[in-house]
Amino acid sequence: MTFAERMLKIDRRIIFLVIGLCTLIPLLYPVGLAIKISPEVHGVYDYIESLPEGSVFLLSLDFDPASKPELYPQAVSLLRHAFKKNLRVIGMTLWLPGTGMANEVITRVADEAGKVSGKDYVFLGWSPGGGSVIINMGQDLYKAFPTDYNNQPTKDLMVLKDVKTLRDVAYVVSLAAGTSGIETWYVFGKDKYKFELGGGCTGVIAPGLYPLLRSGQINGLIGGLRGAAEYEVLIDQKGRAVAGMDAQSATHLAIIVLVILCNIFYFMLRKSQGRTGQQPG
Amino acid sequence: MPFEILLGAWVATGLTLFIFTFLYQDNPLFKLAEHLYVGVSVGYAIVKTYDTVLIRLIYEPMVKQGDWSLLIPLGIGTLMLARYVPKAAWLSRIAFAFIVGVGSGLAIPRVISSYILKQVEDTVRPLASIVQGSPSFTYDLLNPASNLNAVVLLVGVVSVLFYFFFSIEHKGPVKVAAHTGILFLMVAFGAAFGYTVMARMSLLIGRLTDLIEYAEPRYGLASLWLLAVTVTLLAAWSLTQRGKAAPPADG
Repeated sequence: MTFAERMLKIDRRIIFLVIGLCTLIPLLYPVGLAIKISPEVHGVYDYIESLPEGSVFLLSLDFDPASKPELYPQAVSLLRHAFKKNLRVIGMTLWLPGTGMANEVITRVADEAGKVSGKDYVFLGWSPGGGSVIINMGQDLYKAFPTDYNNQPTKDLMVLKDVKTLRDVAYVVSLAAGTSGIETWYVFGKDKYKFELGGGCTGVIAPGLYPLLRSGQINGLIGGLRGAAEYEVLIDQKGRAVAGMDAQSATHLAIIVLVILCNIFYFMLRKSQGRTGQQPG
Repeated sequence: MPFEILLGAWVATGLTLFIFTFLYQDNPLFKLAEHLYVGVSVGYAIVKTYDTVLIRLIYEPMVKQGDWSLLIPLGIGTLMLARYVPKAAWLSRIAFAFIVGVGSGLAIPRVISSYILKQVEDTVRPLASIVQGSPSFTYDLLNPASNLNAVVLLVGVVSVLFYFFFSIEHKGPVKVAAHTGILFLMVAFGAAFGYTVMARMSLLIGRLTDLIEYAEPRYGLASLWLLAVTVTLLAAWSLTQRGKAAPPADG
């Protein structure tokens, strides 16, 4: 067996170990590589920055714990920014399994900022229906959510004063791990009720959302952990996402090196088997 | 530190490590964590659905606020359960017809407007601009609104459409266009794959960040203790499997 053959048949657990070490070592010993802010992340930041105090900001946390590493830091950064700007924050989710986590992140960041539930922010929780919930909110927010997550009647909440429908919301950001998510908010919400819409998403669905960004259907997009890190830099509150960027760069480098090596070994094998008239397996 | 946070940290650490053991090979620790995940998710969904839908959206508005109009959607929804009674199963079709009808009615015009019309509108862009009365062409590849990118977009859309046009044989200029389309598709697949790799690595980073945090003394060194336990259990299970896998002795 040639060296190239041995390398191509290497135990995949060795590759797992290499990737694991490339992730773990930079997390333990961070280097602090520079983070460049992309225009799409700036789009969301700039719009929130432009909102006057007391504007209504709706954050829809449309993800479950499986996407927590990417979207939770985005939620933390957006909430910190919104509370710092003294916006009225409405939190909700279209994803049932993420309800508890969404409540936890909003409550935690609000406590950190000294905000009061019902007065400065509200978490509406989850309601079934996906797109139908958005349409319902566009017609009558109190009917879609008669009570908030803590079972308080929404009509009595100070934070929702003069907020009857989605038309009264200044900015909506959906943090999405799939459907229902950003596209649902556009199709059933923005297109009809004419509020401004931004998005945050997992890396997997980000390429599919770029056409919406380019056409102006959304005004900004925070993509994956990288996007979260950029937002943390923008609000000058570095957290988990920034801490993970060194590890992300290291693993990407490791994967690029592995892909190159694999190709080199493949062509070496093909060349050696070409001499003997065999086909590479 | 509150007991529930400490307990949560130990449970999260243990289950993460149990799931990671799959990287070595499929084993009972992984199965245990996997089944727990499925069970807890389903249990959580049932409880939240009961609380939100049945209690908050149906029972309370009807009984406390007297909104009896909710009986109509409740009645239609209940027809779904008729599927469990073979003789009355046909009744569930009414509910399905309602859902399909309303769903299609709501979705079709919106999807056409949002995805097809808006995207076509964005694709058809001027290939050259008029600046102060004279035509100009911008070459900035990094600017999505540049004229050069409008040309790239046009070539990409047309060539990919040619690739998926099967009514005529791909030869001559059509073959060139279709092959160009393949190049654009490959770039798109590469970008999607790159983002997917980034996303998966982010998930690993998230779990490892938690494991590092839970290795601190304030969490009782949960990660270190549970790593030792997991490795021991995995080694013990591996040894028992080795014995089972041995070929029977010739007798």
